[in-house]
Amino acid sequence: MTSKYQWNNIFLTLIAIVLFIFPFVADSRTWTILLTQIFIFSILAMSYDILLGYTGIVSFGHAMFFGMGAYTTAVMLDRMEPTIGVFVLSIATGMLLAGAVSFIVGLMTLRLKSHFFAMLTLAVSGLFLVLAEKWRTLTSGNDGFTFRAPEFFKDRMVFYLVTLVCLVVVYLLLRRFVQSPMGHVLVAVRENEQRTKSLGFKTLHYKVIASVVAGVVASLAGSLYAVSLRFVNTSVLTMDITLDALLMTIIGGVGTLIGPIIGAGVIELSQHYLSGLAKEYPIFERWIIFFGIVYILAVIFFPSGIVGTVRQALHKRKKPAVLEKSSSGTEGL
Amino acid sequence: MELLLNLMINGLATGMLIFLLAAGLTLIFGLMDVLNFAHGGLFAWGAYSSVWFYALTDSFVVAILGAIVTGIILGFITEKLIITPVYGNHIQQILITLGFMLVLTELLKVVFGPNQIPAKTPPYLAGSWEIGDVIIIKYRVFIIVVGFLIFGIFQYILKKTKIGLIVRAGVMNKEMVQTLGINIKNVFLYVFIAGAALAALGGALMAPYSGVIYAEMGMEFAILGFIVVVIGGMGSFPGSLLAAILVGLAGSFMAYYVPSLSLAVNMMLMAVVLIFRPQGLFKAKG
Amino acid sequence: MNTMLKVDGVHTHIGQYHILQGISFEAKEGEVSVLLGRNGAGKTTTLKTILGLTPASKGIVTFKGQDITKKPTHGIANTGIGYVPEDQGIFGALTVEENMKVAMRKEDEVTLAKQDYVLNLFPDLKKFWKKDGGHLSGGQKQMLAMARAFVGNSQLLLIDEPSKGLAPIVIEKVMEAIMDMKKHTTIVLVEQNFMMASRIGDTYTLLDDGKTVQSGLMQELIQDEQVKRKYLGIG
Repeated sequence: MTSKYQWNNIFLTLIAIVLFIFPFVADSRTWTILLTQIFIFSILAMSYDILLGYTGIVSFGHAMFFGMGAYTTAVMLDRMEPTIGVFVLSIATGMLLAGAVSFIVGLMTLRLKSHFFAMLTLAVSGLFLVLAEKWRTLTSGNDGFTFRAPEFFKDRMVFYLVTLVCLVVVYLLLRRFVQSPMGHVLVAVRENEQRTKSLGFKTLHYKVIASVVAGVVASLAGSLYAVSLRFVNTSVLTMDITLDALLMTIIGGVGTLIGPIIGAGVIELSQHYLSGLAKEYPIFERWIIFFGIVYILAVIFFPSGIVGTVRQALHKRKKPAVLEKSSSGTEGL
Repeated sequence: MELLLNLMINGLATGMLIFLLAAGLTLIFGLMDVLNFAHGGLFAWGAYSSVWFYALTDSFVVAILGAIVTGIILGFITEKLIITPVYGNHIQQILITLGFMLVLTELLKVVFGPNQIPAKTPPYLAGSWEIGDVIIIKYRVFIIVVGFLIFGIFQYILKKTKIGLIVRAGVMNKEMVQTLGINIKNVFLYVFIAGAALAALGGALMAPYSGVIYAEMGMEFAILGFIVVVIGGMGSFPGSLLAAILVGLAGSFMAYYVPSLSLAVNMMLMAVVLIFRPQGLFKAKG
Repeated sequence: MNTMLKVDGVHTHIGQYHILQGISFEAKEGEVSVLLGRNGAGKTTTLKTILGLTPASKGIVTFKGQDITKKPTHGIANTGIGYVPEDQGIFGALTVEENMKVAMRKEDEVTLAKQDYVLNLFPDLKKFWKKDGGHLSGGQKQMLAMARAFVGNSQLLLIDEPSKGLAPIVIEKVMEAIMDMKKHTTIVLVEQNFMMASRIGDTYTLLDDGKTVQSGLMQELIQDEQVKRKYLGIG
């Protein structure tokens, strides 16, 4: 077990090193931007998986935390001054805001059964979207606004490295989180909330903690996203963002941290490739439909996603499949 | 007076459209504990197919029937391919129905193009009546009449027929119904198809009402449908009618007096109901 | 007498719990077979497994010589098994009449005759024919549940703890009814109340920890103080 775990670590470290060296070796603007995008969405998808994969909660409102981060950073950089200091401060503010909102919303709604919770998160994030559209003095509504990013990020490569560092740090922190006793309780909640409750755990508290962690991390992803575009509009709060996180998590592999990262890579890359094809074949303008179909098939046939399925194939034994009712622990890979 | 009346008719008409969507949602949920996040997709498909059939045949009746048939076919496919494979697992169910919603919406854009499509009102339903100095738009009244008619028919089926009896019993205790020798899966398939047909009918009636149709209308109306289902009480058919009218009227009055808040009010209403009275305002009673 | 139901080495898992770990017994036509045992011994699960509500993971259930282990619940019910659950499973918002109707596959003479029979057995039901099932008293609900199971196509009735929560005088009525119904059907009864079980049972099967301990004639068990003390906590 230990050797396998170490092997995993070596492997991941190698990949991280390659990614760090990459921009120095390959001078490709397209790839730098694409990979930056992948890192940002990896962070978002990992945060989503804390809810879906580790705690077994389906939220349809994750975009609101992403959007909170994006707007906080955009507004602060725009209204104050485009410096690193303000950037860091805006990230902290966004996280604080997202943490507070997810705490309050979670406390009120996580008691509800899965259907109701999914529906309510859909509505609450809809409210935030409406708010952003109406509060034009702050957000400029659907038109959005451009703003200046800190001078330091002018070089795409620097921003690439910053997002990569963020990704690695978030990954390591979340891994500690899911491997901590707290993380094990979350998995227990996912497997059987009633039983966990009867063992004396206040499951609502744990679910709220999971939702705060997920909200805070999503807000970080939103902040980085806004800076990467130097523009923000209400699209950061739409269902599409939640759907992206959902697709990446499901296709990559729920209940793991590496799964969402792979999912983000697969989806961003194929999106890039497919929209390239769209110039020749208009059908590919609707590339999302392919993901929709793959996603449905994944939910039915490969509920443990790419990572889970590969692992099962490698280990030749039944491994936890979060979406299945089977139960056993989950490694925090 | 005229304004008040028109706002009411408007609200009632919208309410009826939402009711057609919510009726299926609530029955499907009550019977099988399945919340179909793809239901709005069936609504949008109803709208598109009615416009398509109308353009093809120039008959509004054929357009409506075409939409209903589309709903039946899609309902059958959805139940067999999407709902049944993951039956009993709530998380998978929520995820897969949302995914199917995405596919249905995108498929509309593939088939009919991504742009808005105008929808005509048939000549005999277009225009308005003038009673004194009050102007009443015919088509809205038509929607209200159809809505009540559908409610009456379904209420009759639920109350007076054997299958309706079984559905009501199933909503209360589906395990017991099975032990009485009834194949609940078949019952569920029928209910699902009926719900899909109602949603498609709602979409078909919606098209001339709003004048244009677009793929995202499905999700927009589905959210209203969810709100209605929650307020009306999951599984309650009459509850969904009352709640739909309430939401329709609230929307119509708010849109006139405080337009910026109209959607927000309904969502907040749903949030409050879910948090403080999750069984709905009207108790589910068959 | 013919064997109506045969449960042979049945195991049942619910989630990761191994609830039944080898249950075997037979119910003969026209007899009342009683399942006895402490709380949690697996009596209710045995009934649910026969009905396919919690399907067996191992072992065979045969009814009238036909293997019904793998059938779906409604199919099992339609081979002729009626079920009266512990909580009675009354459809609260349906009237007594409607509760009966759900159970009637067809409304032919045979079924209507059966209905007349149970309504004579339980005159209260006739009195509250149009009343909602949810508004009946506990005893009336028990009667309705038994009547409803009987009008269905039921050659075998599975009755789970009919005396639970009822006043002694009502228990007496229910007992008399079961003894009367026995003339027309075979009954498998789960009962904690040993006084009741010993009076109406022909045979017994003793369960403990999800396993069959022993089966035999009720008359023999009544004499066996040692077994009664050990497994039922009485005597």
